[in-house]
Amino acid sequence: MRLSLKKLSAVALAVLTLGVVDFAVAHHSFAMFDRAREEVTGGEVVRWAFNSPHVALYIRDEAGEIFAYEGAAPASLVTRDEPMNGFTFQPGDTVELVVCPLHDGRNGGALGIIIKDDVWYRPNDGGCGPNEAWEDWMSKGYMSKQEALDAGEMIDEDM
Amino acid sequence: MLLRKYLKTATAGLSLVASAAVFAQFGAPTPDAMPFPMAFETSRDHYDHLLDYYEGGVQHDYMSVPKWEGLWSTGGNTGGNRPFMTDGEVIEGVLTPEYEAAFHYRRNLGGESNSLGVDYDRLTTCEPAGMPRWLLEPYVREFLNTPTYSLWHNDLGNDTRRIYINQEHINIDGTHFASGDSIGFWAVDDDLGDVLIVHTEDIYPADFFRGTPPTSNQAESVEIWYEYWDAENNEKKLGVNVYWYDDLALLEPLSLVYTFRYREDMENAGLRMRYWECAQNNNTYLTRDENGNPSTQYRLPGEPGYVDPRGTPATRNPDLPPDLAGQEKSPTFDDAFDFAF
Repeated sequence: MRLSLKKLSAVALAVLTLGVVDFAVAHHSFAMFDRAREEVTGGEVVRWAFNSPHVALYIRDEAGEIFAYEGAAPASLVTRDEPMNGFTFQPGDTVELVVCPLHDGRNGGALGIIIKDDVWYRPNDGGCGPNEAWEDWMSKGYMSKQEALDAGEMIDEDM
Repeated sequence: MLLRKYLKTATAGLSLVASAAVFAQFGAPTPDAMPFPMAFETSRDHYDHLLDYYEGGVQHDYMSVPKWEGLWSTGGNTGGNRPFMTDGEVIEGVLTPEYEAAFHYRRNLGGESNSLGVDYDRLTTCEPAGMPRWLLEPYVREFLNTPTYSLWHNDLGNDTRRIYINQEHINIDGTHFASGDSIGFWAVDDDLGDVLIVHTEDIYPADFFRGTPPTSNQAESVEIWYEYWDAENNEKKLGVNVYWYDDLALLEPLSLVYTFRYREDMENAGLRMRYWECAQNNNTYLTRDENGNPSTQYRLPGEPGYVDPRGTPATRNPDLPPDLAGQEKSPTFDDAFDFAF
């Protein structure tokens, strides 16, 4: 028998507001990352781990030190404007990064932007939300958000 | 209008109440929540009411059971903190006094530099999301329906819900579960088409999402699932109206809506759902901040407990020679570097 929930209704009410989830895509808190800082770094790819729960990029800088940076989940990266997969970054690739470092200063942080062969990838989740000015800032040689702000650059907070 | 106020109205009139507005809103990102048809003493009473209303429902066979295969991700919803907060403030009188106090307690632990109340999250220790958070986690889903049960998989935590169709609750385990125990029946609704009505009980205490109020071990739910076309966004969606009962946490049950987007783009990109290897790939862990409050920290290569997600985690093969060839998770790294974390 076909019945209708609408027919079940004596009063029609819209109870709750419409909404689209805007939670950051991650399985943990971002308390350890300093999202207020955005810094440029780079080096040679040692590992690109395209794994759940989070991707991770490991690089070696010019001094030979290893840094570990975490990004969003693989499922999120495959449909970004510049898609990524497990083969996008290979050991030995040279990359530039915009990252939000760990609060405590250890060699790691959250991924914001990865630049490889002039292609800009954005694997970030809520751990690092680099603003859209970075393409301009990078061309001007700024190495951090603070440096750009100190030089008088403005951020469109609506971006 | 607040749901609890609405419920009082509905209860006073004991009228059968659902939402006509729900069905007029199919073009919108998120359908409106369906009001309660009447006040029920228990979630089971609510489920039985729907079972009676649909005259026992429909018995599908393999040919006729609705097919929801493919990859899906979360769409719009009215969950999370929406029922509990407005303009950054906790709405009083939605939660019971004890749980409202607990919500304030949780929020007050959060650091100023982060969103309040989210310096730590149970999922950091690789717990599955559980219910009701399962409905909101923003990763990848599969919804597989058979005539006798449905398997709905969330890749986060390998958290699978099993809905036993036209069956009764069974719990021989003497405990609750992250996703609870779910039963259901299919029916045909004139407006929604095929609907799956689900009742869930025996659920672990959990959360609506990170930084939201907790739920209690008394929580139960009634869900109405359906497929629809989101004309505004030109995409296929699944919608579910969740009636959330929790006598310990809520003054009145809640009616919430969650939606899921069919993600052909993910399939076209080659994405396949993989086993969520949280124990072997996750380097976040519970710590305490300078005030002793729970917080989250991140292990780096070389630090105790660190796991190498593509290499050879020390915890994986302690019973094998450490230099055994071919043991990295990815052969890309077999001989690529004279390097070890």
